[in-house]
Amino acid sequence: MLKMTGIRKVYRTDLVETHALDDVTLDVKAGEFVAVMGRSGSGKTTFLNVAGLLDTFDGGTYTLDGMDVSRLSDATMSRTRNEKIGFIFQSFNLIPDLDVFDNVDLPLRYRRMTAKERKERILSAVEKVGLSSRLHHLPSQLSGGQQQRVAIARVLAGDPRLILADEPTGNLDTLMAREVMELLLKINEQGATIVMVTHTPECAARAQRAIHLLDGRVVDGDSHFGHLRSVPTGALAAAI
Amino acid sequence: MALLGYDLFLARKSLRRNPGLTLLVVVGIALGIAVSTTFAAVRHAFQTDPIPEKSSMLHSVRLDSWDPAAPHPDRVGVPPQVTYRDMVEIMKSKIPVRQSGMFKTNLYVFPADKAQNPFEEMARVCYRDFFAMFGAPFAYGGTWDEKADGGEPVVVLSEPMNQKLFGGVNSVGKTVRLRDRDFKVVGVLAKWMPNLRFYDLTQNYIGEPENLYIPFGLLRPMELQLAGNNDGWGPNTGTGFEGYLASESTWIQMWVELPNAQAVAAYKSFLDAYATEQKKIGRFQRPLNNKVTPLLEYMADREVTPRAVKSLFAVSLLFLAVCAVNLIGLLLGKFLARSGETSVRRALGASRKDVFLQHLVECQLVSAVGGVVGVLLALGALSGINAWLKSQTGRGDLFALDLPMLLVALALTAGAGLVSGLYPAWRACQLAPAVHLRIG
Repeated sequence: MLKMTGIRKVYRTDLVETHALDDVTLDVKAGEFVAVMGRSGSGKTTFLNVAGLLDTFDGGTYTLDGMDVSRLSDATMSRTRNEKIGFIFQSFNLIPDLDVFDNVDLPLRYRRMTAKERKERILSAVEKVGLSSRLHHLPSQLSGGQQQRVAIARVLAGDPRLILADEPTGNLDTLMAREVMELLLKINEQGATIVMVTHTPECAARAQRAIHLLDGRVVDGDSHFGHLRSVPTGALAAAI
Repeated sequence: MALLGYDLFLARKSLRRNPGLTLLVVVGIALGIAVSTTFAAVRHAFQTDPIPEKSSMLHSVRLDSWDPAAPHPDRVGVPPQVTYRDMVEIMKSKIPVRQSGMFKTNLYVFPADKAQNPFEEMARVCYRDFFAMFGAPFAYGGTWDEKADGGEPVVVLSEPMNQKLFGGVNSVGKTVRLRDRDFKVVGVLAKWMPNLRFYDLTQNYIGEPENLYIPFGLLRPMELQLAGNNDGWGPNTGTGFEGYLASESTWIQMWVELPNAQAVAAYKSFLDAYATEQKKIGRFQRPLNNKVTPLLEYMADREVTPRAVKSLFAVSLLFLAVCAVNLIGLLLGKFLARSGETSVRRALGASRKDVFLQHLVECQLVSAVGGVVGVLLALGALSGINAWLKSQTGRGDLFALDLPMLLVALALTAGAGLVSGLYPAWRACQLAPAVHLRIG
């Protein structure tokens, strides 16, 4: 699904050259749930930007769903993002003056779908995250957890092959974090590939495997947590 | 285009989000549109073809009978009017389809209704072809016959004059007393209000057409006095009225209707031959410089559009441009302030083109609102100018926002929206989503 080989990303100023990604090689299979971990400044953000086609890279090859995305035009890259990738952000990134319906509608608009098809997808997605009764609420009228569920509905409506989640539980309390994680797992079980950046080992533990970034390099790409995907108990449950 | 409705929806949301800023942009555009549309309409009134169906066939005739010592001070060096003696001679040509010399005079009108006081009225003294040449429509009757051109007391009334003297009924055959004799009404014009008095561009051409029309042949028997421009050189050789008629004074507007280029060339040759002939008797001592000029070209020659109007129009466009340029900064600030939202859209699939068009549509929407307000302000301004003009010339309908002017306002509005919006929209679409998106 997502295959990076020797990806490099360098930020340059007159004085300093920073290797944000240094020879990153990664292969995420279709249907996998992969956690990406690392300290601040380890390259997680750059990795997510490159993986989500939001930023270019300086070397290596990147194949997304069988398509080499190294040299795509802006239009093609935008279409690829729209059709193949869904984003879930830590700070939700909902449009403040659009209600739930219109926020979920956003990616579908750029797919030039008919009004009927958009409406069907929106209603279905909002129902899946349990917010049917909040369809015409503005983000400011929703709790943090509800806002993140709207963001997830926005992804579900687009039905992407790959979901990139950035600390999706980072701004949520324990209960809401658990709800969101359960939703992501459910989505993954239904076939979507998920790559989730997270600081918390407990969240990472619910992925099938985790990779660790340090100074732009993958230092451990083979931590498998598949055995932990069942409902957590004890301290882990309290943390999530 | 598929996203136009969505872009309009987003634009409406955005404009409501910052009402103060929106108001500022609307006011900026509205002022620019109001000023530029007002002066565009004023300029348009002077430049509109007054008789498009035949303006190419109507030609002003000018003869260079001027002083051998110096050219006429007119910008083309030829007097805009002709002498009486020259008019009489060139009227003998059979080349024009229609032709008329003409001038204006003041006459006292004595209404049959004794309850009405006599009043002074401007009359046009012309040939019978005048009405057909210049497209003056008749409500009743028609022009006088050829014999009456020689000096029969017949008159054509304008619609307002017929209303005033006869209550608007068909007055053909009735009599109206002008100065010292009775005139028989042969025709009554229907409503006729060309944008300018284009058949006489020598002076005061902003105004309504005359209310009385009488045959040129009455000039001598009534010794009609000129009420227009008189431009001459050299001493009168004769005395009294006949001396004036024989002088080198130019005071008659001469028009011919020539249907095609061959007729124009033939008529020009005829004039040159006439001038060459006159040279033999000591007149027309200047180099041949006779003019047969189509109406629109003649209007340009006469600088019908005042220079001040042209200048003000140019300045008003500059003002609009300044307004639009000033708005660039405001819109840029507004668009960049929501770079986070733009980046979310980019992340979810909006291409640079989508983002560019979304912001451009917003600029066009706010510009359109400004344009509507500007057009309303321009209507008010034109109404004020018309009121002033009415107090000066008696005519209060010269300047209007007709369809062409509304299209001009639309184009100016779209232009202002583009000027003010192109750069901010371009900057918005160039935002790097990875930089402005709150991730990581």
